[in-house]
Amino acid sequence: MKRIKKIMRSCPYLAVLLSIWLFMTICGIALIVYRDYGKMKWGDLISNPLFAVVWEVEKKNNVSNFMGAESVMVKLPEQAAGASNKRLVLLPDAIGAQIGIRVEEELAKEEEAQAVEEEMETEKPVVGQTVFVEYPPVATDSIYYEDVGKTALTTEYPYTKVGEDYFKDAAFLGDSRTMGISDYAGLDADFYCENGMTIYKLLGEKGVTWQKTGEKVNMNEVLQQKKYGKIYIMLGMNELGYGDTEYFREHYEAVLAQIREWQPEAVIFLMANLHVSQEKNNLDTEFNNININAKNVAAASLADGIDVFYLDSNPCFTDENGLLMSERTFDGVHLYADNYEIWKNFLMEHGVVREPAEQTAEE
Amino acid sequence: MLFSSVEFLFRFLPVFMLIYLLVPEKYRNIVLLSGSLLFYAAGEPYYVLLLILSIFVNYGAGKLILEKKKNTAKNVLILSLIYNFGMLFVFKYWDFAAEIANYFLTEEKMPVLALSLPLGISFYTFQIVSYLFDCYRGKWKEKADFVSFAAYVTMFPQLVAGPIVKYEEVAERMKERKIRAKAVESGLKLFSIGLGFKVLLANQIGTLWNTLMSAGPGNLSPAAAWMGAFAYSFQIYFDFWGYSLMAKGLGKMLGFRIPRNFNDPYKSKSISEFWRRWHITLGRWFREYIYIPLGGNRKGFFRTALNLFIVWSLTGLWHGASFNFVLWGLAFFLLIAAEKKGFGKWLESKKVIGHLYVIVLIPVTWMIFAITDIQQLFRYLQNMVGIHASNVIVGSEQVMRYVKEYGVLFIFCIVFSTSYPMELYRKYKQKWYVIAVVTAIFCFSVYEIMTGSDNPFLYFRF
Repeated sequence: MKRIKKIMRSCPYLAVLLSIWLFMTICGIALIVYRDYGKMKWGDLISNPLFAVVWEVEKKNNVSNFMGAESVMVKLPEQAAGASNKRLVLLPDAIGAQIGIRVEEELAKEEEAQAVEEEMETEKPVVGQTVFVEYPPVATDSIYYEDVGKTALTTEYPYTKVGEDYFKDAAFLGDSRTMGISDYAGLDADFYCENGMTIYKLLGEKGVTWQKTGEKVNMNEVLQQKKYGKIYIMLGMNELGYGDTEYFREHYEAVLAQIREWQPEAVIFLMANLHVSQEKNNLDTEFNNININAKNVAAASLADGIDVFYLDSNPCFTDENGLLMSERTFDGVHLYADNYEIWKNFLMEHGVVREPAEQTAEE
Repeated sequence: MLFSSVEFLFRFLPVFMLIYLLVPEKYRNIVLLSGSLLFYAAGEPYYVLLLILSIFVNYGAGKLILEKKKNTAKNVLILSLIYNFGMLFVFKYWDFAAEIANYFLTEEKMPVLALSLPLGISFYTFQIVSYLFDCYRGKWKEKADFVSFAAYVTMFPQLVAGPIVKYEEVAERMKERKIRAKAVESGLKLFSIGLGFKVLLANQIGTLWNTLMSAGPGNLSPAAAWMGAFAYSFQIYFDFWGYSLMAKGLGKMLGFRIPRNFNDPYKSKSISEFWRRWHITLGRWFREYIYIPLGGNRKGFFRTALNLFIVWSLTGLWHGASFNFVLWGLAFFLLIAAEKKGFGKWLESKKVIGHLYVIVLIPVTWMIFAITDIQQLFRYLQNMVGIHASNVIVGSEQVMRYVKEYGVLFIFCIVFSTSYPMELYRKYKQKWYVIAVVTAIFCFSVYEIMTGSDNPFLYFRF
């Protein structure tokens, strides 16, 4: 005992660290036992640093922060280059195109569309079709995803070419890629986005950064108070390594339903997540285009062609293999600033203007 | 396994330290060796065999060099150098050489191997070579025993990214070392400070650099381009200095004295001075094992220039097998040769100009270092002087936002680039408030590691 005391006195820093560690560990164990008693696994208690559980909740929110975790210098370039040379790159789009397009018409959707048609007998609104191109899926071994064997194309619809004014009443919700649109496309819209944003966090209490002011705002409040004409959602990258695709779809659907409830008049665009480049297309992890495609297909399946449209801008930026062109990106994930002009034009070519519908609503 | 990872901080380190402190003194080297191999194998499960092979080969070579007569010793030395540099060449430079050769031959004569780079090979090769040279020169009479030699090569604090330690610096401690509580304490403090530099400064300022590079070299206004250059300069400094401090701290905890690798490089007044203060152990290696054996500066200006040229081309190449690193080395050759010719003396006399010269030029050299694509590199450098091939997209609006977002961080980086914070630390390190600050640094760093996204060290690439 005396000896420990002596060591403590000569090593105050070590003593402080050890006591903090001990304290956090006890708190951690207490927290696990208190919260999860019964369903906890004893393994949780010895999982890495014991106090980690105190931050468990927070950590989960940040899981696989795409911008950071996979950021630029990170990958040892030699290793990354070596790895990608050896591996066959999958080409969902190309294979799909070769095999031939098979349109997958979803009966449920048609019924829904018919119901809507019956409702509005006077004005027959055009119902957009979202086409899925099938291809033979590849075997994958991951708890996060599997190859869905199809890829979604932009919802077919007689889009209107619009000017920049169109975006005045638009809101963009997204992650670091949407930050890019906010930063470099020069659109006058409300951008609610930040690095590492996920569909799970979007409506959460922690809020999202409103780029106009830089402050965190709670999307629950914003979407209930402000009225938007268009809402663009692009999420799915930071979800790649968290839950499987079905989990993602369920949450996406719930969030979408909630937003539609708050914003019944808004046209909602679900934007495809951009694919990543060859260097980043890592089939050993969950960061690859097969997984991104799975998430995109999940989002596309929610498009109804009436209020909700699926927009795939990937063809503007990817090569024939569906890989993000390396000359368009530095880190294989985010586009160079000058590409956002192209993206902006893509968005302007895909405007949905529904004056008749609005008139009926007013009448 | 990264020092700034949960696995290292809360699993490997405590368990290893506990065993290391509890075992009797005579088993410490073997504990150190096995711990280090485990540490390395966690990151490189296959290449660890290469490391082990290297240890056997070079221990044998060192033994022969020490025991045999001059001539045989020389032959053994040459053979072992061929082995070491051969390995380095195959794993690090083969593809680069193949690319060049195939370009000139206009056909694919040399196959591209696409091997991944074994972690730390550049560092441990240099360390081993210094040992062999010192054996040959008869720096010490008594030869190292196998475990000591193997522990010296693999010692986990400095295995993967230096400092490049000479055997004489650890020889005595290998034979006998007392672990004092005080040393563990101060080593741990140093480690925490290094961790803070890495996680709280380098990683944070690195996001600005990433943001700018993601926006694209070529689209930046001069202000944005310079901001990026400064951000990267700080990132690489705190990244590597932080790592070196952690290595030094860990060494201290284990009872070794690992040499200093950085000595406030950014307050230099000339580029030559900068390189006496930056990555000191690498500069020392090139000086002692290349520059001086070639004749150094004693054989007239042209020989000196040639020697400098060789040293700086190799320094450039050591950092990576691509043209930008060659260019980077040559830039230093030109600057240092000019300084040797008298420009340096003039700079020393004009203090302010000297500082400005370093502050302006070093970030430019870091850009050559950082941007491996030559075309992009030129676009970036053009942006720095206001030449634009396309529209400026990242302009004053974004710069203002970055200033707001990163301004405070820049100030911290500038302050920690001076020598004052560490001087203060050394003076008051026993005081309770310094301990409180270091504790806070440690806790914040751990918090960042746990919640945020941590980046590996830049110098792991080499």
